[in-house]
This record gives sequence, C-alpha cells and structure tokens, in this order.
Amino acid sequence: MDLMDEMILEMRGICKSFPGVHALTDVHFDVRRGEVHALMGENGAGKSTLMKVLSGIYRKDAGTILFEGKEVEFHSPREALEAGIAIVHQELNLIGHLTVAQNLFIGREPVRGVMIRDNDMNAEARKLFARLGMDIDPKARMSSLTVAKQQMCEIAKAVSHNAKLIIFDEPTAALTEAEIEQLFALIRELRAGGCGLVYISHRMDEIKEITDRVTIMRDGRYIDTLITADSTKEEIISGMVGRVIYEDPKTESRCPSDAPVVLKVERLNAGKLVRDVSFELRKGEILGFAGLVGAGRTETLRALFGADPKQGGEIWIDGIKTEIRSPKDAVKAGISYLSEDRKRYGLMLQKGVAENTTMATLKQFLKGVFILKRKEKDAAEQYIGSLTIKTPGADEPVMNLSGGNQQKVVMAKWLLRDSSILIFDEPTRGIDVGAKQEIYELMNRLTEEGKSIIMISSELVEILRMSDRIIVMNEGRITGELDISDATQEKIMALATRRDGQKGGAA
Amino acid sequence: MKNGLKRFLNCKPVRAIGPNRVVLLCVMIFLCLLFQLFSALLNRGNAFLTYERAVSAVNYGYFIGFMALGATFVIATGGIDFSIGPVMFTAALISGYCFQRYNLPMGAALLLCPLIGMIFGCVGGFLVSYLRLPSFITSLGLMQIAKGIGSLFTKTQNVSWPAETDPGGWFRKLSNIRIPLENGRVFNLPTGLLILIAVAVLCAVILNTTRAGRYMVGIGSNREAVRLSGVDTRRWEMLAYVICGTLAGFAAIFYVGCYTTVIPGRGDTFNNEVIAACVMGGTSMSGGVASILGTLIGSLMIAIMQEGILSMGLSISFQYALTALILIAVVFADIAGRRRKN
Repeated sequence: MDLMDEMILEMRGICKSFPGVHALTDVHFDVRRGEVHALMGENGAGKSTLMKVLSGIYRKDAGTILFEGKEVEFHSPREALEAGIAIVHQELNLIGHLTVAQNLFIGREPVRGVMIRDNDMNAEARKLFARLGMDIDPKARMSSLTVAKQQMCEIAKAVSHNAKLIIFDEPTAALTEAEIEQLFALIRELRAGGCGLVYISHRMDEIKEITDRVTIMRDGRYIDTLITADSTKEEIISGMVGRVIYEDPKTESRCPSDAPVVLKVERLNAGKLVRDVSFELRKGEILGFAGLVGAGRTETLRALFGADPKQGGEIWIDGIKTEIRSPKDAVKAGISYLSEDRKRYGLMLQKGVAENTTMATLKQFLKGVFILKRKEKDAAEQYIGSLTIKTPGADEPVMNLSGGNQQKVVMAKWLLRDSSILIFDEPTRGIDVGAKQEIYELMNRLTEEGKSIIMISSELVEILRMSDRIIVMNEGRITGELDISDATQEKIMALATRRDGQKGGAA
Repeated sequence: MKNGLKRFLNCKPVRAIGPNRVVLLCVMIFLCLLFQLFSALLNRGNAFLTYERAVSAVNYGYFIGFMALGATFVIATGGIDFSIGPVMFTAALISGYCFQRYNLPMGAALLLCPLIGMIFGCVGGFLVSYLRLPSFITSLGLMQIAKGIGSLFTKTQNVSWPAETDPGGWFRKLSNIRIPLENGRVFNLPTGLLILIAVAVLCAVILNTTRAGRYMVGIGSNREAVRLSGVDTRRWEMLAYVICGTLAGFAAIFYVGCYTTVIPGRGDTFNNEVIAACVMGGTSMSGGVASILGTLIGSLMIAIMQEGILSMGLSISFQYALTALILIAVVFADIAGRRRKN
C-alpha cells in the first residue's frame, strides 16, 4: 500500500504483560504525517502503557514498532526523544525555579568552556517562540507562568528537539476554555507543518474538534480505528465501553427508597477537586461513585473521612451533625475507609497479617497496656479463614502476599471494626477475577447485614453490577445521579465527560 | 558452605535471636581477636583481652546503651535524633552545677537528669510530630540549643561530680560497686550494666507488647496506614521522642559515674555512636523495624571498638572517624537489603 509512505509511526501486534496482568494484547496503532490521531479508552484500557512502550519506558514483549519506516526499539525516553518522539505529559516536567529558556535547553545548554551562554539560549528560545507564534518571555521564571503557558513551553521543547511525533497525554485537564483554544491553534499549526500528533483525552467534544482519526482501546486490546468526522460520539463511547459483560448488571435497587438515611453530606469543599459535593447514603445501600480518574471521587471521600482537610461542608450521621476533623473522628463515628492504594495508605508492609488486622481495633485486644497477642492472632486467623486469605500464617509480613490477599487483609481490618458505613475505594483494582468475585459477595453480605457502602470504581461494569444508586462526578462536582434501574454505561460516560456548566447530549 | 550458612541462619535458636544479631555477635568476637592481635603488634605487646579493658568497655557501653535504647524508639518511628549526646551532657552539666553551687541534694540532682532530658524530648517531639518539622533539622537545632543552654548555665565552666569518698559520692554505686577482695585486688560489680539490662527489658516490653510500641513501629512502617486506621499518630510519635530524651538524661547519671568531669559544648560525638549502635543492631533507618536486643549488642560493639582503638595505641580521633565510617556502612547495608527485597 502506498499509504505506507505517509506513515510516520506504525505499531503492530504490540504485547506487554506485567506479573499476572496482560496490559496489552496484540495492539495496532499508526500515525500519519500531518494528522492528529486520538487514542481513547476507559481508565486502564492500556493507552498509557502503549505510549510508555513507544517512548521506551517499558519494553514490549512482542510486536514491531516502525518509526519513519525503520524498525526501532527505544530503551529510554531520552533515546525516543533523540529519534524524534516527544511526550507532553499530564503532569508537566518543568523546573519552576529556572527560567523558560533554561528549562527548554536543560541537558543541552550552549556552553563556552564551562560557562553557560545564557544570552544565546534566550535568543534561541525567542526565535523558537516567534516561529510557533507564542508570546512567552524566555527570561521569565517558569513558576510565574500559567499552566497553559507552561504547557506551551513543554510543546516548544518538543519542537526544539525536532520532534516528528508528539504525544499529548490529557493536555487540557488543567486548562481554561480560552487556553484550550490557544493550544488547539498550536496543534493545528504543528499538523500543518507535517508533524504526527497523538492526542489522549477523555473529553469527547475535544476529540471531535481537533482529531482526524480515533483509535479505541479496551482491556488492553485494539478495538477499532474510526475517521473522526464520520463517526458519532455514541459510536466512540460504545466502542470504549462495549465489552461483553460477563456478569449481569443489577437491574433494580435492593434498597427500599424509604430506608433511613445514615449519612448525609452537604456542600463539602476540599481543595480543587471537591466542590460543593452533597449526597445521601441509605441504610443497606451500595452507593456507586463513578467518574474518570481525577474527577475528585477519592478526594471527596478522603475529605469526608477526615484524611485531608476540608474547607467547608456539613456531615450528618444517623441524623446527628458530626464533626470529622481526623480519621480518628471518622472511625469513632462508625466510618471505615478502604483506600484505593492499599500499599500506600492501607498496610504496614513489613508487618504481619495479625498486626495489620488489628490496627484499627487495638483497644479491643488490650489488657491494661499490654497487647493480648494470643487473642490478636485468633482474631486474625478467624478472618484468614472467613475471607480465605492465602498466607502461610498470621505472622507473615503482608508484603509477601498477593494483591488480592493484601486487599483482604485491609478488609479484615475494617470488618473487625464493625463500622456501619464502609467506603470502598477501587476495591478490586489489581485483583484477579476470583478474588474480585469474593469481594463482591462480601459487599453484598455486608449490606444484607444492614451496613451501608460507598464504592468508588472506575470500572463501569463494576459500578453497574454492584450499585443501587450511582453518583457521577467530573472535575470536582457531582454531574449527575442515576438510579440503577435506568443507568447505562453510555449515560454514565456522558455524565463523566460533561464539562462544567455544559448540558450533556448532542454532538 | 553457602548452604551450611543458610541452614545455620535458619535454625531455631538463631531465628529466635534474629540472624542479624547472631552475625553481629560473630563479628564482635572476630573483632576482639583482631584487636588482641593488633594490640600486640602495634602497641609493644599490649594485650586487648584483659579484665581492665573489659571493665572499661562495659563502663563506656552502658551510658551509650541508655542513649541507644531511647534512640531505638525514635528511629523505629522513622525519625532521627542528633541531639541525644548534647542533651545527655547538658543534663549532666546542669544537675551537677546545681549540686555544686546550690547544694541540691544528690538524690534530687540525679532525678533532675532524666527530667532535663524529658523536657528536650518533649520540645523535639512536639516540633516533629505536631508541627511536622523534619526530625533531622529539628534535632540538629536542639543539639545546638542544648549545648548553648549547658554552657550558659555553667558559665562555660567544667563541672566535676563528687568522687566516691566525697559527700554525695554514693551515686557512683549506681554505676559500679567496688568490692575489695582479700588478696588486695578489687572486684568491680557493674551495677550500671544491671540497671541497663533492666531498662532494656522494660524498653523491649514497651516496644513489643504495648499499644504504644505497636503504634510507634507502625508509624515507622507506614504512617498513613496507621493514621487512616483512626490512630492519633502525632501523640504516639511524640512519645517516642519523650522516651528518647528521658533516657538520654538518664544516661548522664552513668556517664558522670565513670568519667566525673563534664565539659560544656560537647557531646555530639556520641550521636554517631548511638545511631550506629541502633542500626548495627538491626533497627532500620527507614523505620518500622526495631530490636532492643540488637541495640544492646550494638552498644557493646561500639564500646569494644573504642577500647580496641585505645588498646592499639591509636588516638581517639580514629574512633570518631571509624564510628562514622561504620555508621555509613551499616546504613548502606540496611538500605541495600531493603532495595533488594523490593
């Protein structure tokens, strides 16, 4: 095919697995010169992994990468950059204390002897900005620029490396409307100049506006490549979420609508990602929190739990107004929080299963000031049995356990506490199917016992399978609430990608 | 050979004490033999393994030991304390000065020592746990403050504690009881060592069997996990510094019991020795792992090295350099071991 001549990048049959997970299976992806190619998929679909394979952060297990017609394999982002592939990351890799020009030329400063020639550097930067139509002072300190300007600098840096392929990883996450327009103007200019561009974003309207083709990924597999102009939003979304649902989603809420409200949150505010969040939780209910990564779901529930400071908001538990200033207050009030990152927030990795299990309830195991180790071990062993935690013994350091079993240890800790409200933050992340099933069953059993659960999950299948009611968040706000009886993946995705003040719907 | 070693390290008594401690004990024995050899070679046939050297090593070992026991708590929480040595000296200076100048009864002067240490521990602990200052900087600052206060209080004069025969000299019996034997020689009963062991047992009980110890080690292992379990981590972290300060003050009693004279503005050389003793004993600088028995053996090791260097006829400056070198080496071993595990 003579189209091949136009291809700047071709990735064929890329496979990559991590211990226990097939992150990428036989993925295809190509980019033409002068094209903006969107890469779309749910969280965990494998977009970032694919880009990391391309830029040399990960090594592929199988497949070929052709860049400008030659087979390549990069071993570091630096090699990729030298070959002409640049990534503009979501989190910017800039040094705030240095000037714009110093950031642009870091690692390749023009020197005379050992002295850096700042004047040459500034002149060079000024030329570059003029070419790209950017209005940025090379001598300004990077930290004094807006996020949008910083992003421009990152792009200019890519251009100054003569990048022929530039990857944008959610570039608009932190930008305002006007700044996005600026960014798009620049992207169009680069496209006209013959650059290949990869655009990763969850925002459907941006995809429609700026990209030429869309490649959809799901569960680490290639699904389809569409011409953006010829396809509708709905087509793209159904490609992203339309996996075969192997478990039936819940069709109606098991929680009676007149069940008492056990938790009421009003106008909760904390940092940038929790804005005026209000919701209620009923007895025996599983309330699903859906949304994209960074939508503010974890931040909301951490603020509720007292793990992070809040700037405002009222919390009622069983109808009583409750002050929660620290996790200690929350635990006392009968709330448990199973963190999304169990290694960082849930477990003492060098310590044994028993020690981790009793961390939230140590007072029950005291005689005077002494810990009753026998009783502690008995309790741990009881949960090792009932949750089928696979461990050589109650003293085994939890770092030697698998992810699923570690998660069960965290669960044991909170089950022992017997709280009436449990927050499960991504309870099945990084866990194999069998353990997942057990965790779902456990959650159902808990609600049958009259406990109430808030579940954050980025997996729509999980949300639809477990929740009685669903709250969708985007950019720190609740964008919608759905009863399980009329919730669909498409409806949730539409709410999750809706921008502030925008009414969802037509393309 | 390698298998045999593995089997040895996995056998029951070794596991009970901890392989780390067993290796340390072996190194200690090896070191003693080495010192014996080199003392003879370098220092005109001098012997290392003598009764006098043993007494001297034990004397040095136990005031270091008290400080190291305290430091074990702080290091277990993932912190560090560089104010231990100067705080110990300041406690000795102030209480000794009060005894000399203000006729404070000896009993009260002795009580004053741990009290002063405790005050420093409270201040440091508050700064680190409630105000979230880095323990490294906080304790360096406190070290200078302790030195300054000690110097100001004594007007930069040395303070000498009374000799055994002087009034108030009875306190020396806390460190050593000298029993004259019939053949004219003196038997030295190391009461200080006995007290050290008693305090160590107490520390081990606190660290291993109480809620306080569980939380302190937990904080060192994963502060966030402990906090999110509903524990007020600040309170327990502060407690570690209070214990550390109190024991540093307590160590002063045993320092003056053997060495009599305290010089203002000193004491920082003990920091390295104390921290090295802890880390050698298997307490991890990154927190979460602590061993009281290890700290005791580590302290003894430090004392033996000090004696060994003197025995070989080398200057005490070697001791400072060597301790620092060993500290760096054991911390490296600790970190490298952790990295390999991950």
